Amino acid sequence: MKKKTARKTRHVVAWMNKAEYEHVLEYLFSKEPALQKHALHRISAWKGRLGQSTPVAVDSTADLVRCQVLDSTGQLEGNDLVLLYGMALVRFVNLITERQQKKIARPLRSLARNINIPAWVVNLRHDLTHRRLPSLKWCRKGCGFVLDWLHQQYWSRQMGSQLTEDWNSSSEEEDEEDEEEFVKRHEEELIRRQKEIEAHKQIRELLISYEQEQFRTYEELVKQGGQHGKWPNASTDLSWILTQIKHYDTEARDILLDVLMQDGFLIPTAEQLESLDIDPSEDSVDMFSPCLPRVFLHFWLPCLKMLNSSVFMNLLLDKLFAELLNEPSSHRTYYIASWISNIFLCNSKSELKAHKRLKIAKESIFMNRLKFPWQNLISACLNAPCPATPFLLRQILSDMDKPLPQDAQQNLLQLCNIYTQGYHGNASPGPSDPAQPVYTLQNLQERLKSNTSQSRDAQSSNHTTRTVQALPTEDLQEKLSAETIQERNFALRGSAWSVCTDRVPWKQYPLGKVPGQPEDPTCLMVECYSTFTVFDQQVELDQLPQHHGNRSVPLQSRASGSDGPLWTHSDLSRVKAGLKLF
Amino acid sequence: MKVHKVSSQSQHEQRNATKHHGKNKWRKKIHSMDSTLIKTSAGTAKLGQQIAKKEKPKLKRLKKSYTKPIPKNSCAEEKNVKATSVTFAHVHTNGGTELDDSSISVDSQEWSEYAKSLQNGMEGSTSPTTDQMEEGGLQFHAHFDHTHNHAVLVMKQGQVLCFRGRCLLTCLYGHVEVLGFTIEEGQQPYPLFSPPSHCPLTITALGNNSPSGKNQKEGQLEAKAIVRKYISSEPSKMLMNEVDSDSCVVLLEPLDTPLTRFLTSFSELSEIFGLNSKELKSQAAVYSPALSAVGVTALSGACAQGLVMSHSYKEAVSSLLSAWAGEFDRCPIILVCGGKSAGKSTFNRYLINSLLNHTVSVEYLECDLGQTEFTPPGCLSLNTVTEPLLGPPFTHLRDPEHMVYYGQADCQADIDRYLESLKSLCRHISGESPVIINTMGWIRGYGFQILVDLIRLFSVTHVVQLSYGIAPQCQLLTPEFLRTAHGWQTHPPTTPSLTEEPASHSSIRSHVFLSVQSEFESAGTSGEMQYQRSNEQRDLALLSYISKLQSPEPGPIRPLHCFIPYQVPHSAVAIGVTHCEVAPNNIFYAANASIVGLCCLSEKVMGRGGPVVLSQTPICQCVGLGVLRGVDMGRGLYFLVTPVAPSVLKHVNCLLLGEITLPKILLTKQHGIEGDLPYVTMDYSFEVQGAGKLHIYKGMTRPSFINN
Repeated sequence: MKKKTARKTRHVVAWMNKAEYEHVLEYLFSKEPALQKHALHRISAWKGRLGQSTPVAVDSTADLVRCQVLDSTGQLEGNDLVLLYGMALVRFVNLITERQQKKIARPLRSLARNINIPAWVVNLRHDLTHRRLPSLKWCRKGCGFVLDWLHQQYWSRQMGSQLTEDWNSSSEEEDEEDEEEFVKRHEEELIRRQKEIEAHKQIRELLISYEQEQFRTYEELVKQGGQHGKWPNASTDLSWILTQIKHYDTEARDILLDVLMQDGFLIPTAEQLESLDIDPSEDSVDMFSPCLPRVFLHFWLPCLKMLNSSVFMNLLLDKLFAELLNEPSSHRTYYIASWISNIFLCNSKSELKAHKRLKIAKESIFMNRLKFPWQNLISACLNAPCPATPFLLRQILSDMDKPLPQDAQQNLLQLCNIYTQGYHGNASPGPSDPAQPVYTLQNLQERLKSNTSQSRDAQSSNHTTRTVQALPTEDLQEKLSAETIQERNFALRGSAWSVCTDRVPWKQYPLGKVPGQPEDPTCLMVECYSTFTVFDQQVELDQLPQHHGNRSVPLQSRASGSDGPLWTHSDLSRVKAGLKLF
Repeated sequence: MKVHKVSSQSQHEQRNATKHHGKNKWRKKIHSMDSTLIKTSAGTAKLGQQIAKKEKPKLKRLKKSYTKPIPKNSCAEEKNVKATSVTFAHVHTNGGTELDDSSISVDSQEWSEYAKSLQNGMEGSTSPTTDQMEEGGLQFHAHFDHTHNHAVLVMKQGQVLCFRGRCLLTCLYGHVEVLGFTIEEGQQPYPLFSPPSHCPLTITALGNNSPSGKNQKEGQLEAKAIVRKYISSEPSKMLMNEVDSDSCVVLLEPLDTPLTRFLTSFSELSEIFGLNSKELKSQAAVYSPALSAVGVTALSGACAQGLVMSHSYKEAVSSLLSAWAGEFDRCPIILVCGGKSAGKSTFNRYLINSLLNHTVSVEYLECDLGQTEFTPPGCLSLNTVTEPLLGPPFTHLRDPEHMVYYGQADCQADIDRYLESLKSLCRHISGESPVIINTMGWIRGYGFQILVDLIRLFSVTHVVQLSYGIAPQCQLLTPEFLRTAHGWQTHPPTTPSLTEEPASHSSIRSHVFLSVQSEFESAGTSGEMQYQRSNEQRDLALLSYISKLQSPEPGPIRPLHCFIPYQVPHSAVAIGVTHCEVAPNNIFYAANASIVGLCCLSEKVMGRGGPVVLSQTPICQCVGLGVLRGVDMGRGLYFLVTPVAPSVLKHVNCLLLGEITLPKILLTKQHGIEGDLPYVTMDYSFEVQGAGKLHIYKGMTRPSFINN
């Protein structure tokens, strides 16, 4: 997105629209000779349009694919093919490195290295030009590699589709470790794991004893009839357990968190809930705005208060979000979301009534406000979408120390709502906010409308005053009087030419478009044509021109049924362009 | 605008007259005979006078040739001669009294009407500005008249105005020279274009060499009267003091044509008639409100050199002029060659203009596909030039007599088709006026061989070879060299055995070789400033061609896509690609929204549904270019927008696609379009490997050569 705004220059390309580009891209790399041939024919037309300014990559790809297509026919001998492949490969290596050449010629090998072409491909080129011709096998291998390279480096990256990962990140440098080292490490690993299992067990037991202690306290409370009353201060037993837990918090915090995350701890089981007199059925809760039952909160409050440190809480949040990412059961999801929400609520910066009440009720986990890495939390939250995500997101956004710009907040919330299919609530902003990304067809249409009006504004504003001032009032469409048309048609009489008299608002159709022209990249394909041979005009020939009837192969169109997709190709490419991954 | 009309009409008649008289040159001889006859017999002189009178309105340009000698001989006839030759000026004095009734032809009546209309407008004038500027010795006495929106410039004899911009120039008194062409009082207004891409134009005052029969006082009074006529208020003393009998008075009017309006409507081209970066840097512009009011910026200092002509340059021109004047036994066929940026095209313009001082028309054979003079690029053409060329090529596109669409900006791809096309054009050379052959800047390898061919094929009489620097850019094309040189198609005559020589030798006529040394500053270096690059020049030529679609009346500029197109069924016209092989079933992908050459095949084109695809590129008459604005697949129609007249379009049955592409600006700037523009994207990234076009490093050195 940044790049686009940085340089909004318009370039003339050979393809009518992005759909045509993608159509050719798909067919070129389809490994299906018939489709590849179709793509090659289209590229021949592109070369007709661009002439000498055809991109080197397009040219090279076409040459190499042509070799593959010819190879697949099985009609050529190996030696023929070596020559074909050879020319395509030599041209590719030379042309692609040419841009890097400076005043003084530099070796191809180093130029190729700069752009991730391995030395063996350059060697293949040298073999082809200076040494013994390589075998067909090598040529095929080289062609395959180079086509992959072109696919990755040019075709996938061009036209704004920079979705591919960085080529460099592909695992080329694998650590070459010493054998011994590996064994040693393996042993260490084993020991570490053993320790972990041990600690895990102990913490589990410890937490169970905590739960038992707390449950006892709860039962006593219920007996006293003050179920909703104040929980007593920690008993000595509980205090001891808490100290133990605290110890593990420093020793093996990860394991402690793991255990807490398991069912039956921070995520209560159905039995546990029942014993705490909480309705475990899912109907009773609102998945979109999770809230922790108070009793359950009180049940865990002493433990969490003990573990109250910003490091621990951050890890806990991370862990909770990470758990959400695993797409747990809705019950689990609800409780995880509830915990997250509760942590935020307790840490809320605004002195909300609820917050105050919590403080008074000593329900707050924290004594002081903790600092959270808000940006990370947003991404964590968005990474793990669940029905409650919009709810959580709104909490995060309102609690942030440095709030995001209002429109960014709006956009995020809207996106979130769309993704989670939640109710829009008040998050749906007014129509045609230009900065708003496109996610639905409706958005798209709105955006298109606003875009065109904007661009028109922009154009008229930065244009020279004299000529454009007249534009809005004057109709640009040429109008020919009936006499003029008649006059022209009279002059054209006896020929196949005529003035187009259709009532077409030509001013609405850019060059290259006519009314009713579909967006489909195969719309200009010719189904039948005749060939015309002209004899040199100098030579007076009494022979008649020759006509050859010719039917081209019917096109295999991959496009879906004739009723047509609801989204046209260009719509789709626009949606793809607007898509942003988090 | 009547002035224009009249002149073009007279042009036409002039051509007819030429034909009537047979070889134009002959008529000139008759005239010179006339003038000699006058000396001896008054009777014949009268006859000659009558001829002159009869032809007077048509031959304003040639007036010199018979005004000069006559007064010297008979004072009695002076009055008459004056009346006929200075009609224009006298009509403006609103007298008409001095005019002999017999001399009032239809033309001159129109003139007087025009003059009266001018005079009527003169009465209610206001706020004049008169400029006198003095800057480093440069002093232009100009006065801008608001009422008539024109400026009157008084120039001393020998004074030079070097300028940028554009204007319409009429000479009111005396005569001036622009790029080799002499303009004198009584001649039609001429448009001058001096864009920053080319060497700036200069207006040089030659003074008044008209009959010295009038004394100085009379001349001065006459000139002053003219100045007064054109300035509605009382002109300033300074200006009037400047007027002398040997000074020149020119009228400059703002020039607003569809071309200038169309070009300046693009923000990228808004400075197309401004100054170039070098002139801006050296602050060469001379401040003059009167001149800038009509669109002219005077230059001073080093930038105001105008056309730099070396000694050899002037010699070559004068020897060519004398060749035409009759020192040569047949009509000269002049081939001008030289490397890139050696100044061929400017030399051609200067030569044509100089020749037009002496003849009514010059034939011009265009062999340079990239920098065409009269047509859009990619066309080979034969033109009859009757109007001087007072600007760079894109300002004077004309419909040629004959044209072949080659389709590429250089001929390397198919040299045979190139030469065959030229041969087909050269059959139409009439041989009645001088022929100038312009060649490519490609003078190495096959390019040089092609030059050799051209000299042989067209039986060239004069070869002008321009070179720059110390060493010539290629072998000199002397007659001796031609005796042994091999061309692409032609070969030296098989060394005739000495015995046969006399018979065969007479048929092989050798040519006159003229070597010209270009001495202007940037000779040999292609321009790098804005609008100077060759591709920009090609785009300008195409834009200029397309600007012909705009209506001549001032009004808003209409974008290309807003014009109502012509339509023609796919099966009624053949379509072909000149420069590469396109799969026939994908032909429309190449043709849509492209420029096509509109050609006429002699054979009838009849398809059986679907397009008719040419199997090879024909060599055929091309009547112009068009933009294939769309393809209707449903009804099987092409939609075409073209400035070619419908009566000519009628004959078109072949569309040729070439490498000449629509200027990008026409695709990227389409006003009023909602949604995406076809073939235009903002997503194309040139940072991606292989995204650029084929790149050729010239003059790359191998590391091993550095040490040596």
